[in-house]
Amino acid sequence: MEIGLNHYLVLSTILFAIGLIGVLKRKNLLLLFFATEILLNSVNVAFAAISHYHGDLTGQMFAFFVIAIAASEVAVGLGLLIVWHKRHSNIDLDQMSSMKG
Amino acid sequence: MLDNILSILIFFPAVAGIFGFMIQKDSMRAYGVSVATIEFALSLWLWFSFDSDASGMQFMEQVPLIEAFGISYIVGIDGISLFIVVLAAFFTMIGIASLSDTKNVKNMIITLLMLQMTMVGVFVALDAILFYVFWELSLVPMLYIIGAWGGPLRIYASVKFFLYTFAGSLVMLVGMLFMAYFYYQATGVWSFAILDWHRLILPENFQLWLFLAFFIGFAVKVPMFPFHTWLPYAHGQAPTIGSVILAAILLKMGTYAFIRFSLPLFPDAATFFMFPIAILAIIMIVYTAMVAYAQEDIKQVVAYSSVSHMGVIILGIFALNVEGITGSIFLMIAHGVVSGALFLLVGVIYDRRHTKQMSEFGGLASVMPRYATIFGLMLMASVGMPLTINFVGEFLSLIGFYQQSHTLTLLAGMAIIVGAIYMLSAYKKMFFGEVTNEKNKNLPDLSKRELLALIPLSVITIWLGIYPKPVLDPINNSVESVVQLMHDKSITDEAKSRIPNLVKDIVITRTSKEAQ
Amino acid sequence: MEIYLYIALFAPFVGSMFAATLGASKKTTIAGIIPSLLLFVSFVASSILLNHILSGGEVVHVEMMTWMQTGNLYIPFGFVVDQISVTMMMVVTLVSTIVHVYAIGYMDHDKAFNRFFAWLSAFVFSMMILVMSDNFAGLFIGWEGVGLCSWALIGFWYHKESATWAANEAFIMNRIADLGMLIGIFLVFWNTGTLQYAEAFAAMQFLDQETLTWMGIFLFIGAMGKSAQFPLHTWLADAMEGPTPVSALIHAATMVTAGVYLVVRSNELYSLIPHVGLFIASLGAFVAIFAASMALVNRDIKRVIAYSTLSQLGYMFAAAGLGAYWVALFHLMAHAFFKALLFLGAGNVMHAMNNELDPFKMGGLGKTMKTTMIMMTLASVALAGIFPLAGFFSKDLILEVAFVDHHFIIYTVLLFTAGLTAFYSFRIIALIFHGEDRHTSLGFHPHEAYKFMLVAISPLLILAIIAGFTMKGTFFEMVTQLLPATEYHVHSALTYWIMTIGTQLFVILAIFFAYKKYMASDIKVPDGTSKMENSFVYKLLINQYYIPYFYEEYLVKSYRELSTVFWKQIDQKIVDATVDGIAGVLYNTGENTRVMQSGNLSTMLRWVVIGLVTILSLAVAFGLTVRYLDEIQAILSGLGA
Repeated sequence: MEIGLNHYLVLSTILFAIGLIGVLKRKNLLLLFFATEILLNSVNVAFAAISHYHGDLTGQMFAFFVIAIAASEVAVGLGLLIVWHKRHSNIDLDQMSSMKG
Repeated sequence: MLDNILSILIFFPAVAGIFGFMIQKDSMRAYGVSVATIEFALSLWLWFSFDSDASGMQFMEQVPLIEAFGISYIVGIDGISLFIVVLAAFFTMIGIASLSDTKNVKNMIITLLMLQMTMVGVFVALDAILFYVFWELSLVPMLYIIGAWGGPLRIYASVKFFLYTFAGSLVMLVGMLFMAYFYYQATGVWSFAILDWHRLILPENFQLWLFLAFFIGFAVKVPMFPFHTWLPYAHGQAPTIGSVILAAILLKMGTYAFIRFSLPLFPDAATFFMFPIAILAIIMIVYTAMVAYAQEDIKQVVAYSSVSHMGVIILGIFALNVEGITGSIFLMIAHGVVSGALFLLVGVIYDRRHTKQMSEFGGLASVMPRYATIFGLMLMASVGMPLTINFVGEFLSLIGFYQQSHTLTLLAGMAIIVGAIYMLSAYKKMFFGEVTNEKNKNLPDLSKRELLALIPLSVITIWLGIYPKPVLDPINNSVESVVQLMHDKSITDEAKSRIPNLVKDIVITRTSKEAQ
Repeated sequence: MEIYLYIALFAPFVGSMFAATLGASKKTTIAGIIPSLLLFVSFVASSILLNHILSGGEVVHVEMMTWMQTGNLYIPFGFVVDQISVTMMMVVTLVSTIVHVYAIGYMDHDKAFNRFFAWLSAFVFSMMILVMSDNFAGLFIGWEGVGLCSWALIGFWYHKESATWAANEAFIMNRIADLGMLIGIFLVFWNTGTLQYAEAFAAMQFLDQETLTWMGIFLFIGAMGKSAQFPLHTWLADAMEGPTPVSALIHAATMVTAGVYLVVRSNELYSLIPHVGLFIASLGAFVAIFAASMALVNRDIKRVIAYSTLSQLGYMFAAAGLGAYWVALFHLMAHAFFKALLFLGAGNVMHAMNNELDPFKMGGLGKTMKTTMIMMTLASVALAGIFPLAGFFSKDLILEVAFVDHHFIIYTVLLFTAGLTAFYSFRIIALIFHGEDRHTSLGFHPHEAYKFMLVAISPLLILAIIAGFTMKGTFFEMVTQLLPATEYHVHSALTYWIMTIGTQLFVILAIFFAYKKYMASDIKVPDGTSKMENSFVYKLLINQYYIPYFYEEYLVKSYRELSTVFWKQIDQKIVDATVDGIAGVLYNTGENTRVMQSGNLSTMLRWVVIGLVTILSLAVAFGLTVRYLDEIQAILSGLGA
């Protein structure tokens, strides 16, 4: 069986779904970051695959961008997480509701 | 200096207002009065250097702002706007001069100077975006005046005033953007210059929609029935100076914009909507006059009477002939003077008794004879007594509309009856009878400062009632060119027959002093 | 001559301004003397102008300055002294000079003496503008000006509720008519292109009947208000709340005749539309008898005289409506003299009786007030139309006009009214001056008025006596240069003498009947118990046919209630509530959706996902629709078919 574009896209979709469920279900901020990473990387897979399929490098370039941005996002996010943990000694999502309207 | 006089008129008060922050509190009043007096002197200078025989724009200035979209800073003045500008300067001056002791006098004066900038700006702007900017900016100082110095319901009133007019003008903005887009489609260049737009002949169905978009913005501002309910609250809560400026100048923006935008841009739509609008105007006249009669608060009587008089102005505008439009512009000035004076007069009694309920008064004629005399004069002007300023405007507006419809004029003419009813009964309640309330027995008559504001207004009321020529002539010339433009532009037969053709052999050209 | 025109016009204005500057200061007699002198100056100037016109001089016409000019409209302040206006000017200046002098005495004790003269002179000025203007707009200035002064003078004693109420009633009722007038002016302008009398009337010859009819009707509506014709008549009787000199000058001699003046001035218009003229004449005859009937029972001397004024105005309109304009103008003049005299006499009586107005509480005043009695009696004789006093020449002429023109119903009504007039006039004369003394027991100590007041009004007495036989010829010669010179002669001499003598006898009989009935010694102050007072007719008449009641109950009240409904129900509950409702919807939407902003990250993430899914599904649905559009349309059309 030839591994084709569709397989990669299915993989990407499955990863995306896992990430999405993680985003929805996780109450732990750290695990939420994991879930977002999965989301982003699922898209990266799709980008790389489609890029290869079309022979156009833009997609792979975009994947690198995503990786770079994801890294910086995690860096900022983890920094905030540590600050939060220092103040409240937990990283439970349900406790973070100071933006309640 | 004369070349840039309009820009000076716009920005001088604003700059002076900013410097006002550095002035000490005690000398603020003197500072405010002198700034406003200089401004008024400048506006008089403008009037005297104004060429009354020319019908087009004068003292034009043009600076491109965003060339890609044809947005420029264009200002200019003609007979239609000249006197409202003078009136705005005049009212700011006497408003500041007669300002009673309020808290934060400094902020009040700075706000008034800012308001003056926006008022002058609206009336001289000849670029739609510029016009819109000043139009909306004028809301802010008024919001502040009502919200900071108003009565107990001031927050509700000021927010209502702001949101209502703002919502209306957003619809107008959409109309303006579409108009500019249409201009782009037709000519290939973007332009927001009103004079450019005047040259554009629009298909009738476009006219109808655009007319409606503009109409909503203007109608809220006028305010026309049924968009008028912000006005009683705004007047009821605003401090005296706020009401004076609001009634005398700010309301005129709506009616002025009808003449500047709606008529020359959409002559066919104006003809199409003439009767519905006339009926609205008649409802305004009669209905609000009756509501005014039911009021218990003297300030509300004057507020509703404003709406009623604005109805006559609207009617005059939609007469679509020279007599009617000239009359309505004159009536704008007349109504500015008279209703401004009436609000000042209400402020006088409010300062003394801190109530505006008519039932609290009675028999004031014997306690405050001078007050009663000036109030009586303004009352008579308000009911349209000949040889007072209002009569000229009302007479011309009605005689103009009579050409379009006899029956509707007869109904609108009820203004002179219903107006007399509410005004006379209010006067009777306040000034006639015995002094029954102990608190009214020793009220002081008008003070020097109050007379300083009221006597010039009384003089104008009679002077322009007897000799309106110096004001009517420039208005007449500019209106003639507008009417001719409308006639030339109109495409439907209905409009061609409704809008008179004034000259058949002379081509109306736009003139400005620089061009000559 | 122009200088005399300006003097005649502006002298009253200067007088008014002089008194007005003293308005706030203490009472000074000078504030009354100067305006009176200036009015006399105005009178002299008018006389010079009259002499000029009489000696065949040209009509004086000046254009002072432009008032309004825009578009096709051009209105100057123009004044004209011709045969009609000079008549009016003479009447106005003469009566007002006399009334001014009289008022110096009458208002002697009033604190607001200065203010009174300011307004009274202002009135004369307005009236002069009204009669001298050469265009309809100027007429309207004067028209409104006299209305304003009338308002201020009726409500002169403003602490009295009844006075201010009457003032407002007069003003508002006049305003209703003024609207008609204004519409008439608009019609004239848009059909003739001008408001100048001469040009407008010239252009009217070429207009169609319908337009002219409307013009005539609307202008007459204006006249109905000022001249208090039915149904706008109620204000005149209530206007008697004002000081008596005001009643004499404004509400008898001058202002109320402005309507007649308008019809006379527009004679060229009304000659073209005789059917409107007939309506005017019929209404005039109706008002004549209608007002006379109310005067029969009224127990307020001023109101009786007011009703009699109303009735005489009816006569004038009857004449004018039938095309006898010069007769109407002649009666206007004669009426001004004897009616002012009557009012001023009544003023003397009121003064003597401390403002008591009920003649039943007087009686026998003739002993103390002989001069006043003679004056009022002669004025009443003149009013009744007894030969050779002024009323005979003017009023009998109107009867003749009706007779000659074969309007026998109008003739009969007017003839009967002449009897009524004589009866009610002498009813009050008898009650005031003759019979038993009923006032001393009520605590009144009457005294005759100041000498100078009596001297001041004596010219009116002389004119009331001689105006008829001395002036009729000259008057006819003069005014018929402008007005249609129709002479009214009953063809057969026998009919003429029967008519004249019959009328005289009828009137004299009515006078005797009045004397007999009201000089009886058993007259008592009515207390509502007598048989007559409980009769239906009496009640109808004393309540003025219930018309004021009807106005108050059904018009004023419903207007007031409707206003309240408009304000409380419609403006607040519907219009404003809609605005607030729209704002409320927006506000509530925000209020209800704010729960979404729980601040909880996972809830928000859930909203993000929901939004994403929604948008994606919409995109898919939309894409599919576009792709299968043809099929969908086919299916839909299949369903439709």
